[in-house]
Amino acid sequence: MKKIFVSVSVAFALVFSLLAAGVMAEGDTAKLRVVHASPDAPAVDVYVNGDLTLEDVPFKADSGYLDVPAGTHNVEVFAAGTEYAEGAAVLQADLTVEAGKAYTVAAANLVESLEFVVAEDSMEVTEGKTKIRVGHLSPDAPAVDVGVIGGDAVFSGAEFPGITDYAELDAGTYDLEIRLPDGTQVLPLEGTELAANTIYSVFAVNTVDSLEVIALVDYEMAASPDGMPSTGLGIPEQNQTNWMLMIAALAAVVAGGGVVVKKRFQN
Amino acid sequence: MTGAVLLLAGCQNTEDEVGIRTENVGFAAEQTPVTPVKTSRAPAENPINAVKNDGIAPEKIAIPSIGVEAEVLHLGITDNGEMAVPSTIDEVSWFEPGYEPGGNGRAVIAGHVDGIDSPAVFWDLSKLAAGDEIIVEGEGSRLVFKVYAMESVELELADVSSVFGYRSSPELVLITCSGAYDSDRGTRAERLIVYAELIGQ
Repeated sequence: MKKIFVSVSVAFALVFSLLAAGVMAEGDTAKLRVVHASPDAPAVDVYVNGDLTLEDVPFKADSGYLDVPAGTHNVEVFAAGTEYAEGAAVLQADLTVEAGKAYTVAAANLVESLEFVVAEDSMEVTEGKTKIRVGHLSPDAPAVDVGVIGGDAVFSGAEFPGITDYAELDAGTYDLEIRLPDGTQVLPLEGTELAANTIYSVFAVNTVDSLEVIALVDYEMAASPDGMPSTGLGIPEQNQTNWMLMIAALAAVVAGGGVVVKKRFQN
Repeated sequence: MTGAVLLLAGCQNTEDEVGIRTENVGFAAEQTPVTPVKTSRAPAENPINAVKNDGIAPEKIAIPSIGVEAEVLHLGITDNGEMAVPSTIDEVSWFEPGYEPGGNGRAVIAGHVDGIDSPAVFWDLSKLAAGDEIIVEGEGSRLVFKVYAMESVELELADVSSVFGYRSSPELVLITCSGAYDSDRGTRAERLIVYAELIGQ
């Protein structure tokens, strides 16, 4: 009995450690990405539910997607190296995430009025197409359009602080620009290559006098099979059966041979 | 005649060794806080063009800690929807319609655990430990991945879309068969799945 108890508890510990690492089924987890977009804020530490999750995140860096359980999480931001104290965060939010969805959480605005900008990220694109959206995260920049140089706007009237919906485009190379609604260019983005089956976020950050963009890939589409591979050619039970049958057959042959020999001797 | 009997006995195990070896395997490296860094690649004139990680079509795989060196075939999906595997026991297959090694997402490579009467290329996969290196070569590049987790999952519980799914960094997943043989299904009841992350080129 004792032995059984021990093996069960080992199995439980294994399951929990795998869950913690996020390698188990993703049916009940969400993807969460944090972006530091506050131009005058120092590097930050990010705590999720009181646990140090991201350390020393500098301006313009992003965390990549982290797997988090679906549900509501307490997300807190501290200046890097600050000792954790409940309620002492420079920025805090209870963030609710749904299973199977992906989210971007940007810490935006100047440090004196730091705020979260949250958006749900797409994980679907039409085969062969590309998707892009823009975020206006430059606290003192006016509303802008993003469009083809000398051509139509793809996004119009993007304002701080906001992240647009996605636009689905043909994959290819575009001469884009960020411009004021009157057409005055703010930042050129010539030769922008937007790959097929890929989803992008482009965030305008920093103050208007040194405006720049950070680009992130939200998703890249690829095929998945319906089933796991069959990666063993051996068939243990049958092998064993065959082996027993072979032994029996050999024994019969030997016995038969014995009979033949006997007969020969009798002759 | 005696020689034939000995030969048979040498090739065949009366116990199911794969099932025994993979009975209680699995681990996950402890998670430490992540320190994100700004992209370390040369700043392109247009930052949007620097954001994608380019992968490679793999040609060879090496796992020094368990003495594996193998050619990598490029295969897709079988008629019944499974990931296809080599017909040989000394080669492995990359799931070509999925993600490429070195690009973002989980690139998947599968190999047999045993042949009809002998161990196969991934016989010792269950012996891997966190931190072991896996080297993938192709198109003149050499990628080094580090193992961070392993699990043996029952087939009906395997989350295929996650195992073959997108990640915002390059990962490599190795798969072989594990668990007891299920004669109704004609395959083993579990799959051993090893997860590794790119650490260098």
